Order: sequence, then C-alpha cells, then structure tokens
Amino acid sequence: MRVFYLICLAGGMWLLGSNGFFGREFFGNRKRMEIPPSVRQTPGGYRTFLHNHGFRGGK
Amino acid sequence: MPSSSRCPSCGAPLGFRPGTMVAVCAHCRSLSARTDRDPRLIGKVADLVETGSPLALGVEGRFAGRRFNLVGRTQMQHPMGGVWDEWYLALEDGRWGWLAEAQGRLYLTFQQILKVVVPGTENLVPGLDLDLGDQGRWQVAEVSLGTFASAEGEIPWTVELGGRYPFADLAGANGAFATLDYGEEPPLLFTGRQTSLEELQIKAGPPQTEPPVVAGRLKVQGLPCPRCASPLELRAPDQTQRVACPSCGSLLDASEGRLVYLKSLEQPHARMFIPLGAEGHMRGMPLVCVGHLLRSCTLEGIRYPWSEYLMMDPRGGFHWIIESEGHWSFAEPIAPGDIRFPEPRQRTVQYKGISYRRFQDVLAKVEGVWGEFYWKVAQGESAQVAEFVKAPVSLSMEVQSQPGGGSEVNWTRSDYIEGSEIWQAFKLQGRPPAPASVASHQPNPHWTKARELGLWLVAALILILGVTFWETVTHRETLIYRETFNLQERVLPTTPGPGASEPELVFFSQPIQITESRKNLEVKLSAPVNNSWVGIEGALVNEATGLVELFEVSSSYYHGSDSDGPWTEGSPVGTVYLSAVPAGNYVLRLAPTWESKLPPVSAMTVELRSGIVRWSYVLLALLAAILVPVFQVIRAFAFENRRWAESMYSSQNTGGD
Repeated sequence: MRVFYLICLAGGMWLLGSNGFFGREFFGNRKRMEIPPSVRQTPGGYRTFLHNHGFRGGK
Repeated sequence: MPSSSRCPSCGAPLGFRPGTMVAVCAHCRSLSARTDRDPRLIGKVADLVETGSPLALGVEGRFAGRRFNLVGRTQMQHPMGGVWDEWYLALEDGRWGWLAEAQGRLYLTFQQILKVVVPGTENLVPGLDLDLGDQGRWQVAEVSLGTFASAEGEIPWTVELGGRYPFADLAGANGAFATLDYGEEPPLLFTGRQTSLEELQIKAGPPQTEPPVVAGRLKVQGLPCPRCASPLELRAPDQTQRVACPSCGSLLDASEGRLVYLKSLEQPHARMFIPLGAEGHMRGMPLVCVGHLLRSCTLEGIRYPWSEYLMMDPRGGFHWIIESEGHWSFAEPIAPGDIRFPEPRQRTVQYKGISYRRFQDVLAKVEGVWGEFYWKVAQGESAQVAEFVKAPVSLSMEVQSQPGGGSEVNWTRSDYIEGSEIWQAFKLQGRPPAPASVASHQPNPHWTKARELGLWLVAALILILGVTFWETVTHRETLIYRETFNLQERVLPTTPGPGASEPELVFFSQPIQITESRKNLEVKLSAPVNNSWVGIEGALVNEATGLVELFEVSSSYYHGSDSDGPWTEGSPVGTVYLSAVPAGNYVLRLAPTWESKLPPVSAMTVELRSGIVRWSYVLLALLAAILVPVFQVIRAFAFENRRWAESMYSSQNTGGD
C-alpha cells in the first residue's frame, strides 16, 4: 500500500510539475513530429510533407 | 515506648506499644491480649503461610513525611481460597496504618470517624453507591468474609483465633480505596488508596527465604498426584489452593499442605499453546506459566471459548495471558477504585481519562482447568463479565459470587499483543495460530497505515499548494495570435467534375513569435455553430527547425427538446492544449472541416495563448494524493464495522438504541 501510494504521489506530482514547470501537456488530440531537413530546405515544402502524411485540408 | 511484658505461655519478652491490642510471642507463637495487668493468653496461632511478601516485621518506611515501622501482621483467609496479609504500621506520631497486601498489590488505609449509619453487609452488593457523609461517596467493590488464619508481632485490634470478620471493600474517586470492617459494632471505616513500596520508601529485599516461622505449607516442588501418581511440579506451592492434574484430570486441593483428591474432572479438549511450566520474560517481568483455564460463554446458542494462562511472577503477583481465536492479550488486574462501577446498560466507562466503549455482557464459565491456581477454582464456576474496549485495550469487569454469600467485582486490563511476541518470549515451537475474525480490542491496522499515509498526504498537499501558487503567480496568460477566417469566401461554389479531387481548404497564419519555451499553449476555436459542428486539423510549424505540433479542435453545439424538456450538448468554443514548444517563429496551418457541403458558419475565430494554468493537473495531483488515503480510511471503517458487528452494543445489533 505504501509503495502504491508513493507511486500515485509521484505520478500526480510528475504531471503537475511537468505541466507547471515545463509546460508539458499529456492529454488531448495532439501529436509532435519532426519535418526532415531535406523537406525543410525546400521553401513551402512542409506543406506538401504534411499533406503527404495524411494531414489534409477539410472542405 | 512499648510497655514491657512477658508472654504468659513461655515468659519471653512481649512488647505492647500504645494502641496494641494483642501480640504474638515470637518464641512460642502464643497470642496474648493486653489487659490492665499482665497479658491474657488467648491461644497459639497457626504458622504463617509464606506469601513471598517483600515486607517483614521491623521494616522502616516513610509516609507523608513521617517515619513508620512495620510492627505486626495478620493473615486472613479469603472465602475463594488463599490468604492476604495485613501489615500494621506504627507511625512516629502514634497513629496506626493498615497496609493490606494481596497478589503483589498494596493498599494503605487509616481509620476514620464514621458519622453516618451504614447498611449491613446483607444489603450491600457490588456497584452499590454509599454516601458516607464527610467521608464522601463510595461504591461497593466487594462484600466478603475474612477468616483469621495467623499473625505475628503487635496488632492494633482484638483478634480472635478462627474469628470471621465480614467486610466490604469500597472504591472511591481517583483510585481511592476504603474498607468497612463489620467485625466491630458499629462498623469501622478505613480509607486510603493503592500504594507501592517505592512510595512508602520501603527498601524491599528479596522475599524471605527463611521466614520467622516456617510455614506448614507445601515446600516440595515435585509431588505425585494422589490419584494417578503422575509427578506434579508445583511452581507456587505456597499460594496454590487448587491443582488440576494434567495427566488424569483430577482436581486436587492444596490448601492444607498436601495434595488431596477432590474429584475427577471431565476436561474438554483444549489446545494448550503455552505449556505448564514454560518460562519467559514479558514486559520486563519473569513469568512462569502455572495454570491454564478454558472458559467460554454462549451467545444466541453459539459457544465462544477462550483460554486463560495464569502467569506467576516469581517476584510476586500474577498475570494472565489470554488467547481467543488466535488473538492474544496480556492481562493484569486494575485497582477497583480506578473505574467507577457502570450502570447495567451504561455504554462507556472512563479509565485514566480514556473512554472505553461497552462491547458485550456475557456469563463466562470455567470449562477446563489444568495446573495450579491461587484460588479454589472449580469447573462450572461462572462470573458475569462486562467488556469495554478501546483498541488495543480491553477492560473486563467480572462480578463473581463467593461462597458464603459474598460477592466481588474485579477489573482486568487486557492489552492486545501479537502471538509472535508470546512465541518469542516463551521460546515456543512452531508458529502462533492465525487469528480468526476481528478481536474486540484488536488494533485497527488500517488506522495505523491511514495515519502514516495522512502524514504523506499533508506533505503532498503542501507541495501541490506550493506548485499551484507558484504557477498562478508566474503564469501570465498571453494572447499571441488571434484571427477570424471567413469560410464562405474560400469555398468554391461549384461541384468538382468527375475524377477531380475534393478541393482543400487550408489557412496559413502570419508568422507567430513564441518567446516562452516553458509555457504551454492553448488553441481556442470559436464558431457560432447551431446544431452543427466545425473542426480544425491544425499544425503549429516551426519552419526553421522542422518541429510540428499537430492538433485537432472542434466547435460543436447542438440543442433541442424532447419529452424530458430542452437539452443542449457541446459548446461553440473548442479548446486544445499543446505542450510548450521551443522559442522561435511559427506558422499555424489550419484546415477546417465540417459535415455538409457548405460550411455551417460563415466565419471562425482561432486564438493561440501561452502560459495557461491547467487546473485539471492540480485536480489530478490532488486525486492521486487523496485516493489512497481515502481508500485506507474506508478499509479502516470496514474493519471497525466488522469488529462492532460482533458486539451486542453495536447500532446494528441493538436497533440503534
């Protein structure tokens, strides 16, 4: 029980601390990616990259 | 100064100090009464029983700043068997004190003037309130009869050989003790309290190995059973009244200096965890197991047995170790005055400032007897027992009738102990039995853990509060981007031809500068949707580093009414939170989506903020901190429910009365 509680406490404090001190978010519909350097060197290339990676426009 | 006389029997010097009524000759043990002239011979007294007392004639001490000497002693026979000593203190101011000693406990009393008429012993019962006027209010603890057995030295009252003296012991407030001596008419009142050798500044030596008069009691440790000839080892031969032979089950009388067969007992089966003769140390005391009682009570047709092991402290006094369903207790007597006699249905009693809750009232019977006992124990002997508990302590009040019509109340304090402590103390083989159910005074293990978790909880709450305070002070919610997009203008009014793909609608923001690399971001989408929705697939892109934060957010609001009345669902404002990104220049790529062909709204507004205080994380941390302690408290209450479910005084068993 003591160990379990310490894990819970550590988890809660990690969430709070990470968010408060480092601005990290853990929930929600979001994802982080890196665009490869080759794409970055092409002006406007990231737009094609995103499009080709399924990130398409809507209507 | 004692007046000098001579023993009328042998002529040895005999001292009578002021107040001495009779004296015993140290040479011939003749008892003589003081008269105006020479002492009058009353007769010879029996030999003293060796009680292992640390006191002796001539011992000096101090009480309330006054010096005293022990000058006399009588031994009185109790109707339950056994004797107790009454020592007489001659104080330097001429007063007499009475020091009663029984089972290692000392009670010092002084005679008082009784100005009220007290009821006769036939009208006294344990628990009865007595108003003794100037001497205060008392409760009757015992009504009994003492029989003169022996004496030595000088005695301040006129004792008769074989005389029987009715008395009533009284308990008063704050541990006060009193005795009404009905041997005189009118009765004499002695008041005082329990005391100790240390308080009386008596330097107790070891019990006398060679008392002035050798007792005529058993001095042999090993004796054969008169019924089966099995060797019996008596460990308290001077105090033993009854012996139950473990081999043949015979009950033997040991009060007359030899073992006499009384009857054969039909002993029930009982597991004896602590063997007779086992020696060990507990609570700083050397203890020897001298007896084992199996007692039981019956409630609603169910028999509940328990074992009581009589433990002798060779230095004086007896204690009990009790086992019930694998739960163990260490028990010792409490001075009667320490607890006020409760009313029949009284729910609590107070002992040393602590309230104890009534658990049950039972009639306890002796079923089995093994070993030796300092009273005339008998199979079937019963006592009315009331139990009051506050874990880990249980207080038992036993009211027992005595042969000859007397009755007494005895309080016992039982401290819950782990079986392993017993096994360790007495070096027993194997392991203690696993406890069953919950004992009335078993410590609640969940409370102990809950208290420990409570400390952690307090520390965690302080930490959470600190972090939250720091966040609210340092986080300034900053709007770093806001733009309204016109959807109608950007949607092609024509339908694409066959083979043509659906045109994409994508907005790009102007460059956005993000300066705080440790602050989270909030993307808020606002659209005046009405029974419709509009969403965004978005990307916050740093063209220089290639970092992309992808997200989805929607604005969805529906409303209507049905048989239950009006209803709403969703909100025109949708929010998504993004992790902090490194400082730099970013672009927002926003691709709106909706359900129908045409956009449900003409425009939507997108805002980007940084430094948002996220209360949901505070709440999560609080939940993580509280959840386990709350669970532990629930377990603790469940444990208490199981404990009190066994009580006849729980709300569920008494209908809440």
